[in-house]
Amino acid sequence: MSDYVKMWEDLGMDLENHDLLCQVLPNAVGDVFLTQENRPKAMDFWDLVISEVHGIRPAELIEEQKKGRKVFGTFCVYVPDEVIIAANGIVTGLCGGSQFWVPGGEAVLPKSTCPLIKASVGARLGKTCPYFRIADMYVGETTCDGKKKAYEILGEDVPMYVMDVPQMKREKDILKWKDEITEFAKTVEKFTGNDITPEKLSEAVHIINEKRKALQRVYDCRKSECLPISGRDALLVMQIAFFDDPVRCAQTCNRLADELEQRIRDGVSVVPAGTKRILVTGTPLAVPNWKLHNIIETSGAAVVCEEMCTGTRYFENLVDESKTTLEEQFMALSERYLKTNCACFTPNTERIDDILRMVKEYKVDGVIDCSLKFCCLYDTEKYSVSRALKEAGVPILSLETDYTDTDAEQLRTRIGAFIEMLNG
Amino acid sequence: MDEGNLKYYVLFANYEQGLALHDLLMQDDIPNRIAPAPRAIQGKLSCGMSLRIDPEWIERAKLSIESHGAEYHAIIPLADQINSRRDKYC
Repeated sequence: MSDYVKMWEDLGMDLENHDLLCQVLPNAVGDVFLTQENRPKAMDFWDLVISEVHGIRPAELIEEQKKGRKVFGTFCVYVPDEVIIAANGIVTGLCGGSQFWVPGGEAVLPKSTCPLIKASVGARLGKTCPYFRIADMYVGETTCDGKKKAYEILGEDVPMYVMDVPQMKREKDILKWKDEITEFAKTVEKFTGNDITPEKLSEAVHIINEKRKALQRVYDCRKSECLPISGRDALLVMQIAFFDDPVRCAQTCNRLADELEQRIRDGVSVVPAGTKRILVTGTPLAVPNWKLHNIIETSGAAVVCEEMCTGTRYFENLVDESKTTLEEQFMALSERYLKTNCACFTPNTERIDDILRMVKEYKVDGVIDCSLKFCCLYDTEKYSVSRALKEAGVPILSLETDYTDTDAEQLRTRIGAFIEMLNG
Repeated sequence: MDEGNLKYYVLFANYEQGLALHDLLMQDDIPNRIAPAPRAIQGKLSCGMSLRIDPEWIERAKLSIESHGAEYHAIIPLADQINSRRDKYC
């Protein structure tokens, strides 16, 4: 990746340490993706993106910054991309998914913090991720206590704005979130120097809706008995969606969906008939966290859906495009975003409804509910998720893991036994 | 080096060259896969992406490169290292 050394130097990155990350990524990509046969041709795009993950897109972002555009780094699916895009800003996801960054996070955070937060802080403070260096402003949110405290630390190093996500979904909470979005819009306008007009916001809503529809099309293909794409590939598509230009993301996902739909018509599946179909639910799997999917799919099953932030929570539900005033549009945004069912809300029975619905839609044989270590919210919700699935007669396996490799063998044993049980 | 356990990696100065050759090889029905260049063989000029080619196709790939005048930085053989059950993640 020496082609990008000058760019990384200019970003103030720690090149020596970053090179250590560059050494491990190719092997992991090879193990998880290149070992698969009969992948969709359209995956070439994502193979390129992951091969150049710290090169192509960062270079694009820097070029846009030279034109005066601002880059906003986000950590959560509740942050409304539409507002940023309406002000001619650019959104990039910042969630860290690598163990490589965890020790850097642990230097300032308790070890008993979830690995996603530790990795995100470590990526910034360790200066080994270009996206964390490029973002002009970070946008956080109050979806968990660990993040809230981490944002205080990050805020000492980079402009930081935190959105106050409600904890309940009553009418007054929807109004509160609408006010929060309105306040955020003012900050974005000031930071970018661009006014957000109803026309611009309407266009931005359309762009993100089109991206959501394209991702939904890919997921719809996974509902087929004839499975045209692996869970590992679908997960990569989702993970990159957080970083890519939204218009291009919609185009590439639609191109992939075209091919997947043709594969279904032609009866081309990536797994033998009868392979057990797994729905994965729980905490997000930020790039390059591929451990769970790889273990499941090299243990004889296929992942057909992710009910998680790097999955259906990211794209289900569209924003109403019929609104014409900012007041109405901010309300429409609030209503859409509060349909997303995260464990930070109470009650959160809609998430269980979602899982039960997806079990039917994706013809699921078993559910794996997996949370990152020290995520108290999702860990606690396993109780009600498990109970509901058992009542519905759906086999469920509850797991907890982190970004290390040390529990891989244990996970293989438990997941292997679960799949064996499904195979009866 | 064990030829049966060998892969060839075509390295490039930039990804545009890599994509162009990927398309040309596909046109010529020569199987190849876009892959991150293994760090051990990245030269100073190379970029992140490479094309990974099985040994039985490498001579045809070289002919294709020559006939199209395609740009590349180097072609390097490397013992195949991928293993879906290695469980060494990033």
